[in-house]
Amino acid sequence: MILDLHLHSELSDDSRAPVEAYLKVLQRKRAERPLDGIVLTEHRQFDPARDYRALEDRYGFLILNAAEVETDYGHVLVYGVNPDILARFDFSDVRLSAQALVTDVARLGGIALPCHPGRATVGLCDHYQRKPPLEGVVAVEALNGGSKKGEEARVEELVQRLGYKAYGGSDSHLVSFVGVCATEFDAPIRSMDDLVAQLRDGRYRPVDFRAR
Amino acid sequence: MPLALDPAIIGREFDRTVEGPVTADELVAFARALGETRPEYTEAGPALVAHPTYCVRFRGGRFYPEELLKLIDVRSGFDAGKDIQLGAPVRPGDTIEVRSTVHEVYEKTGRTGSMVFVVIRYTLSNQRGEMLAIVDNRFMHR
Repeated sequence: MILDLHLHSELSDDSRAPVEAYLKVLQRKRAERPLDGIVLTEHRQFDPARDYRALEDRYGFLILNAAEVETDYGHVLVYGVNPDILARFDFSDVRLSAQALVTDVARLGGIALPCHPGRATVGLCDHYQRKPPLEGVVAVEALNGGSKKGEEARVEELVQRLGYKAYGGSDSHLVSFVGVCATEFDAPIRSMDDLVAQLRDGRYRPVDFRAR
Repeated sequence: MPLALDPAIIGREFDRTVEGPVTADELVAFARALGETRPEYTEAGPALVAHPTYCVRFRGGRFYPEELLKLIDVRSGFDAGKDIQLGAPVRPGDTIEVRSTVHEVYEKTGRTGSMVFVVIRYTLSNQRGEMLAIVDNRFMHR
C-alpha cells in the first residue's frame, strides 16, 4: 500500500491545487507513481467536515485528512486529528511546543511526525544543533518532494543516529508533483485509524518516484 | 514575537475611494501593454471592455489601516499574489468605487524564517452598483 503522506490543496494559502486534479494526475501517471491514496496536510488548519468520499468512489484512491503545523522545532505533520487534539492545540499558532505536540497528540490518539527535517529553519536537524532531541518521535520524513540538495543527506544521518523510522511525502503544492515521494506500507490502510496504527507500530519505508 | 493584532480589524472597511471615469484609451493601452490582441479589449467602440486583469490597478487611497501600520514595517515586504473573483466587466465611462478591508492576517515560518502575511480585499463596483471584481491582495512582511 503506497500513500503520499504530505500534500497541500487549495485550502492551504500557498497552494492552488484542487484535490480532484491530484487524483487525475495520479490516475494518468499510475505506471510511474503507483499510489493507492493521498493524505492532505493543509497548513495550520484542520477541517473535520471535509468529506472526499465521492472523489474516492469516482477515482478509486484513498483520501485522508491530516494537518501540517508549525512548532519551536520546525514543521510537524499531525495524523489522526480529533476533537481532543483540536481542543488541546491551536493549529494556527506558529509557535507550538513540539514536545507538547508529540507527547499529547500520541496521548490523545494521533501521531505527530516531523516533516522535511533537513530543511533550514523549519526542519528538526537545525533545531537539534541548538536544543536537545525531542522525546517520543517515532518517525521523520526522510524523503520530501521539495527537498533541496543536501537536505536528504542530513536526514539520513539523523535517522541513523537516533533510530527514527522514515517516511516520505511529496509536499506537493502543485498538481503535477503529487506522489513524487511517498510511503510504502506492508499492511493495508483503509482509514486514518489504520494509518496512525501503522505509523506507530507498522512496517513502512519512503519510496522515491522522482524522475532521474 | 506573536503579532499583537486586535481581531476586530478583520473585515472592517478602512478605505473607500472612487476613481474614474475610465476612458477607452486607458483600457486599450492596458490591454495592448499585455500583448492582448482580441478586439473586445483593444479596439475602441461600443463593444470595448477592460481586460479582466485591469481590476488589479485599483488599490484605494490607503495601503493599510493605521492599526496595522503600527505593527508592520511596510518597507520590508513584497506583493505575494492575488486571488481575483470577477464580476461585471469594466466599460469606458465607468467610475470605480474601491472598498478596502483587511481580509486576513496570519503568520507562517519557512526556510528563511518568520513571515507575516496580510490579505487586503479590494471590492470594486461601478456607478450602477454592480460588483466588478473582488481582489484579495496578499502581501508578505518580515
